[in-house]
Amino acid sequence: MRRSILHLTIILTLLLGLSLLASISWQWFVPGEWFKCPLQGIWCLPVFYLATTYNPELSNYTVNSPEAVTAIVWDYRGLDTLFETSVFYLALIAGIALARGASYKLPTGGELGLSKIVKTVSRLTLPMIITVGASIGLHGHLTPGGGFQGGATAAVAFMVAIVVFSIVFLVEHGVSKDRMLILRSIGLTGIGLTAVALFFAGLILGKNAYVFQNMAKPFAGLSFPWEVNSALISGTLWFFNLFEFLAVTAGFTIAFMLLAMSEAGSEEGVRHE
Amino acid sequence: MISAELAVYLLMTISSVASTIAVYFAIMEKDLVKAVIYSAIQSTFYAILFYLLMAPDIVLVYLPVSVGLIPGVLLILIGKTERGEKE
Repeated sequence: MRRSILHLTIILTLLLGLSLLASISWQWFVPGEWFKCPLQGIWCLPVFYLATTYNPELSNYTVNSPEAVTAIVWDYRGLDTLFETSVFYLALIAGIALARGASYKLPTGGELGLSKIVKTVSRLTLPMIITVGASIGLHGHLTPGGGFQGGATAAVAFMVAIVVFSIVFLVEHGVSKDRMLILRSIGLTGIGLTAVALFFAGLILGKNAYVFQNMAKPFAGLSFPWEVNSALISGTLWFFNLFEFLAVTAGFTIAFMLLAMSEAGSEEGVRHE
Repeated sequence: MISAELAVYLLMTISSVASTIAVYFAIMEKDLVKAVIYSAIQSTFYAILFYLLMAPDIVLVYLPVSVGLIPGVLLILIGKTERGEKE
């Protein structure tokens, strides 16, 4: 009893201390004192974002991405999106933990899935859905879209496959739960590495650079390559979108596979506990 | 003649009213499969609204999640329980 009160006190102290730190540190993080805003108050922030999102003349402030929403999501407010991704990952871990102990017998025998007409139409449309998802995800720094949007679209293809062909079709074609978990971990590791890449490059080169830095800032000169062979990739944005696309697709697919699978052999697993 | 701006506002009004009607049907329907379909129709109207309000990023995440994934999950779950809603 006394121990839990002690733990609670320590956690509360840490939380309050960090909140205090966060609230007094704001004054060193207000962007761009150089920027003379023609408007008053809160309207300065959107004007700042729109003036700097793609502006080669301001090479020390721009993100080099014509799509302001993705620039805000992964560069100006990148940490928000990182925590959002972590919340999604934790929810998925909770789902996998709920399904633990189930022995996952695949349904066997008989005609699985829906009728032949539905299957033929789905064979044609499934690659198209994945293509559209990849296009939304990988063009996220140029047109509306991004990693989460593209990943959710591509996950629809896996859900349709589970409903139309049954889960056996996916497992036979090599889409198992463990492989999806590996793909999801690759995505999350990629996001983490992209976030710290420039920081470590700065350490090696002996220059000033920050975690989650994308383009050069006046006080930190390093920047990601923002075009490859004169094709715009906007530095970290393209990599973040790619890895988020992988992580979200694999995450949603794991959730559907758990829902579709755990029926057959789950009673045995529960008896074991 | 109707100007372009007025046409956009008219379309927004129609979408909002239609989405409210779809919500009413989704709540009152006793057959859960039909209720899920009404809910997906409401989401489609919301997607039109988001597009007209110039938020294409939200449309791209709202359409697959609310028209594709959530009805899919709900239909799988209904398939595991009962189709009708009991008093």
